[in-house]
Amino acid sequence: MDPSFRSAQRTLQGWAPDLPLQADGGAPLETLGRVVEPPRLLAAPVVEDSALRARPVGGEPEVGFLAFLDGIQRSRVLAYHDGLPVVFGVVAAVIRLRVNRRLHSWTGGPLVERRIYLPLAYLPSELAAHFRAAGLDVVDTTAVGPDQAIPIRHPLALLDRAIHLVQEDREGAEQTLAERWCNAERAPIFIDGGLNKSELVARSPNAVGVVKSHRTLYVEGDALDQVFRLRGGERSSVFRIPSSRRTPVASWYLRLRDPAGHDPLFGLVRVEAADAELAGESLPALTARADRLSRWILAESSPLSLPDGRWDRMVYGIRDCEEYLRAVI
Amino acid sequence: MDTEPPSVLSSPLPLLGRVVATERRPNTAFEFHFWTALDAPVGIGSIVRADGERPVNGQVPIVYGVVTEGLSYTDLQSPLHDVLGHDGEPSHATAAATERAEIRLYSAAVLRQIPEEPMQPVPMGRVHLADDADVAAALRMDGYLRDGESRGIPVGVYHGGGVESPIYLDADFLVGPEAAHLNITGVSGLATKTSAAEWLIASLFAHFPASKGSVAAVCFNVKGPDLLFLDQPGELDERDRAVYERLGVPAEPFEKVEYYAPYTARGYTLNTLRSNEALSANVHPLTWGLREVLQYAEVLLNRDDVDAKADALIDFIKERVIDREFTDPLLRRPYRVQTFGELEEWFRDLLMAIEGRGGGGDSWRTHHVATIRKVRNRLSNISTRCAGLVTDDGAVSDLPFGNLSDRTVYVVDVAMLEEDAQDLIFARVVSKLREHLERRDLGVNHVVVFVDELNKYAPSDGPDTYVRKMLLDISERGRYLGLVLFSAQQFRSQVHRRVVGNAGSSLYGRMDADELSTPGYAVLSPAIRTRLATLDRGQMMVRHPHFTQPIFMRFPRPAVMRGRDGVEQYPQAEEPTLEAAILRSLLTLDRSLSLSWVQDVIALASEEEALRARNVTLLARPADVRSFFAAQFRAVVGARTPGRPVVAPALRVLADDDPYGF
Repeated sequence: MDPSFRSAQRTLQGWAPDLPLQADGGAPLETLGRVVEPPRLLAAPVVEDSALRARPVGGEPEVGFLAFLDGIQRSRVLAYHDGLPVVFGVVAAVIRLRVNRRLHSWTGGPLVERRIYLPLAYLPSELAAHFRAAGLDVVDTTAVGPDQAIPIRHPLALLDRAIHLVQEDREGAEQTLAERWCNAERAPIFIDGGLNKSELVARSPNAVGVVKSHRTLYVEGDALDQVFRLRGGERSSVFRIPSSRRTPVASWYLRLRDPAGHDPLFGLVRVEAADAELAGESLPALTARADRLSRWILAESSPLSLPDGRWDRMVYGIRDCEEYLRAVI
Repeated sequence: MDTEPPSVLSSPLPLLGRVVATERRPNTAFEFHFWTALDAPVGIGSIVRADGERPVNGQVPIVYGVVTEGLSYTDLQSPLHDVLGHDGEPSHATAAATERAEIRLYSAAVLRQIPEEPMQPVPMGRVHLADDADVAAALRMDGYLRDGESRGIPVGVYHGGGVESPIYLDADFLVGPEAAHLNITGVSGLATKTSAAEWLIASLFAHFPASKGSVAAVCFNVKGPDLLFLDQPGELDERDRAVYERLGVPAEPFEKVEYYAPYTARGYTLNTLRSNEALSANVHPLTWGLREVLQYAEVLLNRDDVDAKADALIDFIKERVIDREFTDPLLRRPYRVQTFGELEEWFRDLLMAIEGRGGGGDSWRTHHVATIRKVRNRLSNISTRCAGLVTDDGAVSDLPFGNLSDRTVYVVDVAMLEEDAQDLIFARVVSKLREHLERRDLGVNHVVVFVDELNKYAPSDGPDTYVRKMLLDISERGRYLGLVLFSAQQFRSQVHRRVVGNAGSSLYGRMDADELSTPGYAVLSPAIRTRLATLDRGQMMVRHPHFTQPIFMRFPRPAVMRGRDGVEQYPQAEEPTLEAAILRSLLTLDRSLSLSWVQDVIALASEEEALRARNVTLLARPADVRSFFAAQFRAVVGARTPGRPVVAPALRVLADDDPYGF
């Protein structure tokens, strides 16, 4: 149990001594699977070929990444005040630098942030002030969201909103570190997740995002079959993920391990890198870059990330980031 | 030597690791755990210092420990995962871009906590390798290494993380009176046990506290030439010399060594591998007569064979016959028995008289004739079984009991003797040392007796022999007298547990795995036992009353010539002629003697007479060797010298007037 969680509970008890606390904080909200993004298919323009197809990466896997970036989050209910959840969330991100085949924390160590997530619209404002006075940032879970709506006074709705906000904070921490790297270093970094939330990172030639979850597949129709039929060591043609609000990135699917006998997404990752068009890159150069980055990623498929359940898609450097962060928060 | 416990801030050594504890693997007051970097210079046996972070009663706790166990593991949950990760090909493993996260986790047994009270579980904190001052504090050596009153006897150097720290034993616990005795164990052939004893005796001589008086050593050479060249320099490398210098022990052979060995059965030369003429100056004969041997007859007589009746007769002979005039109506003349020869004559005449008397029965003074025959047989046999040591003529050449010299090593070479003779020598020498120490007239205040192959003399099983009883007595009471036992054996488990149990200090060299599996080693961790099974030459584990845990250390090669080098450099002399043997012996008294002179003097003497004359001369050590030696023969062969011509008595002349001679 994170000692800061106990500390936050004591702070809360200082304000409301009679408030019953969650004895053990309950299970982390992330494990409850409350917020589930619906699966969807989105078409994306193929830029490398006329139609999306399988391409052998070519050559042997080669080591190219100098560092790995990932973040984790953990949130628990401190107490229910008038039936409404008071959530304690902690997010952390770290860059692990590879030196002589061993991983070490990059300069400055991990970025760790702890916050209280409160439905301020439904709770006394003095509670937020009390937490702030104790040095804790407070996030309003009843602030107007992307859907332009205030969550209803339903505890589960407020929990979903809290988890969503914690996730945003975690992505923010990852983004902060990624930008620091891109500003400070000129070496390739393997980033867990997408790139396009930060323009600086999305445009950087050194940042490579690797997405393990496939709730959204950027292919439709025949292209989807092509992706499902990718064999170990093969990639798809490069396509472009445009965004009206974010920087577009080049992307492709890469099969890290042969899927025979497994589900169609086994060993499948989606790679994001700087957009060729924005970089003024020729098509052959884009192909060469996609192949090279794919070989770098394939080189990270050993050692295995077992016993993590996502071991078929998770490289060891990212698992190391998560293990490190679990140890420090 | 700094006697103050080092402060938290004083440690100049870099940080080694951090104390760690979990609910499953908690720290206690006696054991703690810490992790280190993968390349940390720490291992089984390393002494470490853990600095607490919060004061207790105003003092930040410092805990010293010795590493007893080390673990290494990765985040791998199953070996199968690694196989899968490399497609079952070991060669692929080296190609992995990243090495798995790995931990080095060590467990340490607490040596000392400062402050000692309250005794608490080891706190979280930083861990450093121990430096010299830390080692002294950890092993409580600071209590006896005070300037001006040091009782420290260097035993070796502890090596850890590039630091070599001296290890001292407390003289009060090595030679008494608090505790005493040292036992050395280890497999044969690694030049460790004997070397350790030689080194430690040299160290003891160099550092024996003046306040404790004088000390000498009596060593029994029981195998080969092990101890026969202690006065000759050996080969030392620079590392050994550095240790000698660090520990303040002269890197030189023993200055004063005296050797004692019985004669061979033939009696020409001493029964020792140190027979080279160049080294004969300090080699002395060891011979005993009837009186000396009968005192320890118990050692030689088979207890199953000699019953109470025989015992009674032996006691009678010892008290009433030996060394006094003995008369009996049955015997034709008085007897004064002083030698085996005279004893045999006494037995012969007595038995003849018993058998010759008519109707007197089969007993004499309550002793049955069969018992007398049995005792005669056993006692007469001694001079045969111990030929060379026991003399028929009663000549005695012995260790200088009563006149032992400070810092002198007396080596008694029994390596080439029969087991009976070895037992007899061992029993008598040690008993005499004890007698003189009890009377405080040995010549020194303390004497170290070194015995190898202790499992032979004090086995854990078998009959309760005189020698074993004597060793038990020394080990249990010798410390009060200044009689200290340095013993060695290959298998400690095969030595009587009271003998090894009373050894205050113990050294362990490389051990046999079978021996390590015996119950006596169960207190050691598996890692310590494994290290004991892999120790190199010169490495030992030491236990001492002040050390709460065993410590690994290294000692230098002894600065004396190794036995096998000695026999190569000083080959054994060939069996000489009688004249040459006598000359070689007498040359130790007078270098001017020549072979022709000896030949002239003994020309008419028998071999027995010549050897007896030599023995008497060597024992007397006269100023005029020539005259003294020659005089021995005049006494013996005087009857052969021409005397006055025998003149036939004159016939009496008969008187003229007495024709019948009246």
